[in-house]
Amino acid sequence: MDALQTKVEPKPKAAVKESSPERISGSEILLRSLVEEGVETIFGYPGGAIMPVYDALYHYADKLTHILVRHEQGAVHAAQGFARVSGKVGVALATSGPGATNLVTGLGDALIDSTPIVCITGQVFAHLLGTDAFQETDVVNTTIPVTKWNVQVTEAKDIASAVAKAFYIARTGRPGPVLVDITKNAQNEIIDAAEYKKCEGIRTYRPRPVLQHAQVDEAAQLINNAKKPYILAGQGIILSGATKELIAFSEKTGIPVACTLLGLGGFPTDHPNYVGFLGMHGNYGPNVLTNECDVLIGIGMRFDDRVTGNVSKYAKQARVIHIDIDKAEISKIIPAHVPVHADAKEALRALIDKCKINNHKDWLDKFHALNEIENDKIIQKEFNPSGPLVMGEVVHLLSEFTKGEAVVVTDVGQHQMTTARYYEYKNPRTSISSGGAGTMGFALPAAIGAAYGAPSKQVVAVIGDGGYQMTIQELGTIMQYKIPIKILVLNNNFLGMVRQWQELFHGKRYSFTEMDNPDFVKIAEAYRIKANKVTKREDLAAAIKEMLNSKDPYFLEAVVGKEDNVFPMVPAGASVSDILLEAPQK
Amino acid sequence: MKQDFTIELSSDNNFSVLNRIINILNRRRVRIKKLMGFEDENDFRRGGIILLVHTTTDLAEKCKLQLEKLIEVDVVTVHDGSTAYIELSERIVDVD
Repeated sequence: MDALQTKVEPKPKAAVKESSPERISGSEILLRSLVEEGVETIFGYPGGAIMPVYDALYHYADKLTHILVRHEQGAVHAAQGFARVSGKVGVALATSGPGATNLVTGLGDALIDSTPIVCITGQVFAHLLGTDAFQETDVVNTTIPVTKWNVQVTEAKDIASAVAKAFYIARTGRPGPVLVDITKNAQNEIIDAAEYKKCEGIRTYRPRPVLQHAQVDEAAQLINNAKKPYILAGQGIILSGATKELIAFSEKTGIPVACTLLGLGGFPTDHPNYVGFLGMHGNYGPNVLTNECDVLIGIGMRFDDRVTGNVSKYAKQARVIHIDIDKAEISKIIPAHVPVHADAKEALRALIDKCKINNHKDWLDKFHALNEIENDKIIQKEFNPSGPLVMGEVVHLLSEFTKGEAVVVTDVGQHQMTTARYYEYKNPRTSISSGGAGTMGFALPAAIGAAYGAPSKQVVAVIGDGGYQMTIQELGTIMQYKIPIKILVLNNNFLGMVRQWQELFHGKRYSFTEMDNPDFVKIAEAYRIKANKVTKREDLAAAIKEMLNSKDPYFLEAVVGKEDNVFPMVPAGASVSDILLEAPQK
Repeated sequence: MKQDFTIELSSDNNFSVLNRIINILNRRRVRIKKLMGFEDENDFRRGGIILLVHTTTDLAEKCKLQLEKLIEVDVVTVHDGSTAYIELSERIVDVD
């Protein structure tokens, strides 16, 4: 990737006496604070109310790499992608008013998907607050529902402590997005420089629960006596870095493991105890057998409605152990018989000690037998189809050629579910998607962030033709910085998932879902990005290989069947065990 | 079945905390019948809120957990019925 194209111009040293304290602006305090927090990359877009910060940034180009995105939504999604692959806090910078409100979608996405980011927004001068000044929006009140915490700073002296608190809150406990809104006068104000102090605690905030050993004992007893125990692994495994512990726990106890969408990569797909992907378009075995297990162990997951289907018919026969760092998630949707309020890694370590060596081969085989039915009825047809290209075969080849080791960033819709089903993730922090919010337009900018967060990894954005056009302007960012991501658009000229629902549940009335698309290859080429389009099966493998072998950014459009559906599917309102392997007969 | 609950909450006292609390209840369509906020007489940086709400036991308990998640919120207690609200609000008015 190219370095920042702004020249490095170190700030000239002021002619001051040795003894007098250094005088610096609020903007410089902000940038020093970011450097102290270990920030190296910022995604942002300048504007009037954040100009003092950008002016100070001019002199910080040797310490902070700023990526100029093409829309603030791109900045926040890029910060998310950066955070998700690196485990560090992602940072986005925007101006007041529309600049700040353009962050809202990404903030909401980061909140529901527990992504640690800090967004800094400029604000009008403090004396203009509440006067409807140009580009004034009440950003703090606008973003309260979509942030873990936010704050407005109106004096330079408060900037460093606000930033310290923001980073502490974003990364601790259940991670999440934080917004710091800084008025322009605070950015301009010159004050004495002071030593930066990292936040080490907040009186009213207790992010790390103390593991209750009585809860662990109770859970271990249930697990040791279970005949059909079953682990549902969520993103909490990845966030707490508990993959090794989960593998050790599953191997010791012989318990099958299924992953949620955001949990993919938290347990290797080639492990013999891995039984598949959970949810509406998940694998057959893990969905059906949810309603047969006797002990259900949810770890770092929140029983999202896409996982549970109809809650009133969900795992009624099972005793539920729910391990989560967020107390409010426990028993929020599915009542937990044994709540374990704890960090996943800590809880798993304790459980490994207390659980007996066990083997549940017959139970595990049952998952594999059901998955074999799915393999015969669906997967083999997806991998060896006739007629137009099929999403499944494209993703299957991508997985094969990258050995399941690329960072794969997906958007929302059919391609997302297909990738979740067929990309064989081997490592944590390699599956990046918009889960809870389901934000179309997420993937392209998030892939940009992922490329900066994991510079040694191959980053592939798999996107549908609808979502791609929601943030397509970020091709400009990719062009400017020569970010070597690979963009794979699965084009069915439809908003495919909505169309699938219209076909199955709305009498095939395709109400405003068909898309007349532009020439995507020409668009990519206009951004000086190498581009190719593949329509024939015999050209597919070579086209994917060429994309992956490129050292530069690369765009590949795969034209797939217009009316292909993603199966299996748990219809809305149905039980997970009523998952369909094919469309119901009319 | 819905009934009255008194939510007693102590928190930091800043510009956004009341809005954060109300957002939690509004989003879950919990009916607020009465509300009283106050600043700690010994420390203006601290304060509290008492609310009389009408909702289900399940939702009152879930709101408590969500309120406890707010960074500025220290302690949340949920009492059955309105008696606690009346007693607490009288105490606050007496102090004032």
